[in-house]
Order: sequence, then C-alpha cells, then structure tokens
Amino acid sequence: MIALLDNLKTHLPFSLLNNNSFQEIEMNAQIAYFPSNSILIVQQSIPNKLFVVIKGTVEASNDEELIDVYHSNDTFAGIEILENKPSDYQYMVTEELICYEIPRDTFVKLCHDNKEFKAYFFSTIVERMEMLKDKKEYASMSSLLVARVDETILHAVCEVPMETPIVEALKFMEASKSSSLLIKNPNGYGIVTDADFRHYILYKEEKNLTTIGQIQTYPMISIHEGELLFNILLLMTENSIKYLPVFNEKEQLLGVLELIDLLSFFSNQSHLITVQISKAQTLETLIAASSRVEMMIDALHSKGVKSRYIAKLVSEMNRKMYLKLFEMIVPSSWHNRCTFILLGSEGRSEQILRTDQDNALIFEEGFMPDDIKEVSEKFIETLDEIGFPRCEGEVMIIHPKWCKSIGEYKKDIDGWFNNPTMEGFMDMAIFADSVAVGGNDALHKELMEYLAEKIKNNKQILTHFAKAIENFESPLGLFSQFVSHDKAHKNEIDIKKSALFALIHGVRALALEHGIHTTNTTLRIKELNNKGFMNKQDATDLMEALEVLNTLRVQAQLQQWKRDEKIDNYISVVNLGKLEKDLLKDALKTVNKFKKLVAYHFHLSMVG
Amino acid sequence: MFEALKQKWNRKNLTDERFAFLFDGVHEDEIVVYDCETTGLNPKKDNIISIGAVKIKGNKILTDQAIHIYIQQEEEINHKSITIHQIRNCDLVGAIPAHEAIERFLYYIGNRKLVGYYLEFDVAMINKHIKPMLGITLPNKKEEVSAIYYDKKIATIPQGNIDLRFDTILKELDLPKLGVHDALNDAVMTAMIYLKLQHVKKL
Repeated sequence: MIALLDNLKTHLPFSLLNNNSFQEIEMNAQIAYFPSNSILIVQQSIPNKLFVVIKGTVEASNDEELIDVYHSNDTFAGIEILENKPSDYQYMVTEELICYEIPRDTFVKLCHDNKEFKAYFFSTIVERMEMLKDKKEYASMSSLLVARVDETILHAVCEVPMETPIVEALKFMEASKSSSLLIKNPNGYGIVTDADFRHYILYKEEKNLTTIGQIQTYPMISIHEGELLFNILLLMTENSIKYLPVFNEKEQLLGVLELIDLLSFFSNQSHLITVQISKAQTLETLIAASSRVEMMIDALHSKGVKSRYIAKLVSEMNRKMYLKLFEMIVPSSWHNRCTFILLGSEGRSEQILRTDQDNALIFEEGFMPDDIKEVSEKFIETLDEIGFPRCEGEVMIIHPKWCKSIGEYKKDIDGWFNNPTMEGFMDMAIFADSVAVGGNDALHKELMEYLAEKIKNNKQILTHFAKAIENFESPLGLFSQFVSHDKAHKNEIDIKKSALFALIHGVRALALEHGIHTTNTTLRIKELNNKGFMNKQDATDLMEALEVLNTLRVQAQLQQWKRDEKIDNYISVVNLGKLEKDLLKDALKTVNKFKKLVAYHFHLSMVG
Repeated sequence: MFEALKQKWNRKNLTDERFAFLFDGVHEDEIVVYDCETTGLNPKKDNIISIGAVKIKGNKILTDQAIHIYIQQEEEINHKSITIHQIRNCDLVGAIPAHEAIERFLYYIGNRKLVGYYLEFDVAMINKHIKPMLGITLPNKKEEVSAIYYDKKIATIPQGNIDLRFDTILKELDLPKLGVHDALNDAVMTAMIYLKLQHVKKL
C-alpha cells in the first residue's frame, strides 16, 4: 500500500471505507501534480474524477467571487459527480498542488458499496456536525440529546374522579404513596399537587372547598411519550412545575414524570440556578446564583447540546434574573409606569456567554422620577458585579438616550425615517430586537406597533436598512488572506462581523418587512418560511448555518473564558478540525447565498 | 555518437529476442521511476530484495499501474539489512524467483526512460542480473533526480555545497514525506520530486 493512501484512512469521508474499498482506490487512483494557476475543473463542466488534496491549495470561485478554499486532505467534486451535474464553480490551483485523482467510475462504485460514504457527500451541515460530535466522543451527548421520555422513569398514575371528597382523595394518595393526583374531568385531566393542598388548607372555609375537582389545576400541562428530555426540562423550568403527566399516542395516561428524576439525567445545575434566581431575597444571593451560569454553559456545551437550546435556557435564566433585579432595584412606585426592555442579542435570546449588555427603560409620558440616575447606576453596577461587560455602544439605562419617555422614543423612531443615517439604522436594528422583561409591557408594545406602522408605510426604508449586510467582505476570502492582513489576529476570523452579522441583519430586515414580531433569529426564519417567503430547504439551511456559526463561537468563547481572557468573536481557523472547517465553509457559503438573496430582494445594488 | 555505438554493441549482444523491444525508439509519453531495496550497498555482492516502480505520464504519477515485486532470496536476509528496510524473511512470502522478477520488470519498463535517485546503483543491480540472462545492460535512457536538483540549486548558490540527501531534497521542495521506506514508496516520492523539478526553474 502506498503510504500516502494509507493516510487517507484517518480522514472523513475515507475513514468510512473498508479495506476492499481501499484496494479499489489503490488500483485506480493516480497522483497528479499541478503548478499554480492550473484550472482543474472548468465552470459548467462535469468533473470526471474526485480530487483529494495531498498538498497545496485549490480555490473554487464563480464569476470572480471566491466560494471555497481546499487544503490538505480536503475532497472536492464529489457531489457534482454523484448528481451528474455541471460544476457551478471553477476550481483553480492557487498554491502548487499534489493531489489524488480518483476516477469517476471508481468513486461511483465506492459510493455504491458504502452507503455511509455516499451519504457523507449529501450530508447537510447538521449531519456532518453530528458525525464530528460522534468523532469527538462527546461521551454523554446521547444521554442528553437522544434521550427521550419512556415509561421506565415514570411514576404510576394515581387517578380519582373530580367529585371525590378532598380528604378521601388524600387518603388514596397516601395509600398509593404518590406525590401527585390526577383528576378525571369530563374532558381530559387536571392535576393536584402540594401547592393545591396548601391552597385548600388556607382557603377551605372561605371558599367552601369540598371536592378534589375544586382545587385541581385544570387544564394541566402535559406531554406525549417520546418527547426529548431536554425539551421537557425547558418546559418544566419555564413553567416552574415539578410534575408532568405523560400520555401515549392514543391519549392514554402513561404516568407522571417528576422533576427530581429528570434532574438526575442532567448533571448540570440549570434547574438549581433557576430556582436560586427566583428565590433570591437579597442582591448578594442573586449575584451568586447568576455567576454560576457560565459553568452550566460549559457543562451543556461539552455534552454536545445544540447552542440554540443552550441560548434558550440561558436567556430564560437571564430574564428571570433581570426581572428580579428590576423588582429589587427599581422602586415599586415605578413598576406600572415604566418598562424595562432588553435589546440586541439579549433581546433575540441569542447571547450565551456574557459578551455584552443592551438594556433600556421606557417611561410613561410625563413620568420622570428625580432619582433615575441613582437607580440606573445601581442597576448597571449590579450587572458589573454579576459579570456583564458594559455595552461599548452605550445601550444601557445609565445613558439618557436609552432611559426616557415613550414620546422621546417615538421622536427617535421618526428621526430614523425622516433623516436616515447609519447610526439611526443601527439603533433601529437594536430596537427591533427588543423584548419587555419587567414593568408595564404595554409601553413597549405601543412603541413596537408604532415602529411596525412606520415601516409598513415606508417600505423603501428597508432597502437602506438592509444595506448594512454589505459592510463586511465575504469571509471566505479571509481564509487565504488574513494571515498577512490582520496581524493581531493571525489565522483567526471574526465570526460575528464576517458571517453572523449579515445573517442576523438580513433576517431582521425581512422580518420587519413581513411584520414578524418575534425577535429570535431562528424563530424569525421559521416565520419567514411559514409566510411563504422562504422555502423549507433554504430555511433549514440557514438555521443550520446559524447553529454552526454559533456553536463554533461558543466553543472559542468558552476557551477564552476558561483562560480568563477577554471574550470576543474571533475563532481560530488553524485549531479547527478538518470537518469543523468543512462545516464552517458550508455555513459561510449558505450565508453568502442568503446575502445575495437579500441584496436582490431589497435591490441593494440600486442604493449607494 | 559514442552512446549510439555503445547501444548498437549492446543490441548485438542480446541473446533473447523476446526483449528486443528494449531497444525500440524511446517511448516519448511515459517514463518509469524505480527503486530497489537490496541486502547491501555493494552491487557485486548484494542482492535485490524488492523492486518498486511507477510510471509518470504528463503531470500524473500512475500509481494505479505501479508494481512492487519481492524476490526470493537464496540466503537468509542478514540482520543488518532488516533494520534498514524492515523487510523480514517472512515478508517474502509471495516473492518470486529473481529471473521471473527481472523479466516482469523489463516488460514493465519497456523502452521508457528511467528515472531514480542514485539511479546508477539501481541500474547496476539490474544489470547484474540481465548481463548473464540476456547478455546486455539496460539500454534505456536514464535521468538522475539529484542531478536535476543540483543543476537548479547551483544556479542559486554557485560554489555552494549542495546537500543531496533524499530527505533534504523532499524538504527543500516542500513535498510530503512518507513515513514508510519501501521500494514502492521511495519510487513514488522520487516521482514527486521529478514532477516538481520539471516545473521549478530555480531553487
């Protein structure tokens, strides 16, 4: 065996092949040498061999635009051969190349004999990510992501009719050693737990409570068997419930899932932290609880939980924390006369590690308390202590621009439309992602409606708004260039500037155009799909790309966090594995494609 | 002129007409890169253990048509050479008798030009066998990669001492080094050196 071929065995997708297939390759593959600037595949031609780079660099481009770069052990032309379609790109050698050429027929035979090998070429970003995670041996990933609820961890159902007298029902519950009761109603079930009995003891005379049906929680939150445990954890944390009845497909009760059992599946502290946050009585305990979130993120990430779920969980916790802070620091006399909102990445529920804070206060017209400066400073100082870095763009309640009356905000909005400036558009972008967290949310709602109405009547403004996606160059070009360009970040790319921004901002512009109220990017994409603007495949691709970019970013940020470095948005390209690089490339390609769609849709080429 | 006369003489000595093709006009398209693993460095005393050869056509190394032949040994391979080639006696299962191996090699190379690293030694090893078998020496054109390398290198550092070690050449040319040293892998690496040198004007 030629040693060079042997080397292939350790790289995907060739690591999926058996020895017979390797003999097949050995008997048919040739080694080729190409000097720089050789063209390997002409655009619009069907390649007749699969290329595997041994040494050198190849760039794929179309119409002068760089799409992809291939280095050692990278494979290309596979999908074109399998689909028998002309290549969309031209492949050119940019650094003298030594490569394997596997003839078309041999490659097709390999694919025919090895389903997994073939599937690799058709696999989507997410599937490759899964393969990568398998490879990395995220040992307990399966227990978290794949684990679904089944009967083994359920407690037996203790069921009574709704007319049962309360004491009798209690006796039955005691006898069956159950900690929850399910109540049969004419339409479905209700549930009775400790909290309901407390209610009964306190109010039995006042409200004349006699039957179990009177104190039940009805309708109740329940799930069906087969649900992912991780989603259940989210559901239970969101609703602060401890007992969750489980049904089968035929709507028959299977049993009750208890939080304590569920938690034994998760070694992280997510529930604990949430409880600590909501129970905190003093600022100190709140700060202590909130400071533990990063450890939880690390635990979840290393178990391979998708970054969008981590983000969801983290933002759930952060909102509880903000609400608590609001209640503790902001005087209660204000509570009904102002709204505390989160903007930017926090508003989109997309911040995982604390990189930034964006918050604002909206006051009722005519209500401007005197001690606003002291209160807002106390608020931000507490956030300092918890570990939220201050916002570089000063989107914080200590800044008068983000702490004023609703009328003033409306003037800002008018300004965005009457005197469009880059700064105005950035404010609009941040504001478009806002959600109300504490206080009287009607104020925030009014402002959002005001903005939506403005946009509806001035749709052309979105063209200028969306223009910002063209601010940063196509990131794939960076692969071959950035070594010489950015000395401070050698071999690194700023994943936020180079990819995430365009994706998020493009989706935001489209969401504003379509009157979509949700702020989360994934949910916005789903809505765009529901509204028929984007087809399912494109929507899925875009969500997958977002997932990959976010995952790689969290990975890099966690490393910075562990080393006590400043958390930024740079990821090191050299430290990425082969497949991670592939995934990143695929994600960047998807973003490029999406940028083009947005540019075309908003006629960006027509504005300067 | 002298070379042509020598080949004419060589041709006259050919005792087996099956191999007349060796003297046909040079095969323009393809060349053969080959390497022998031997029991030692003295062509007079030592024997060939294996021959690895690969063809080059244009910019391609035809690894799909590569050959790797092991030769049956009359004496056991001594310990010293085992440590160099890591070919143990038990690896020679599937090996064929020397004359058969040489015939296969001759059919493979045909009238193609031969290329190698310290080719002189490898040619001497083959000649040692074909002289008694066929009455001739290898008539093929020959080219030495270290000589091509030297010519390109000396243009950059005249009067310099040029390191012609195999690993140095690979490193200088930025070529991948294969961990395994056997006749075939050495031939493939030599082929890569040759191809690269065809495209480099100066080093």
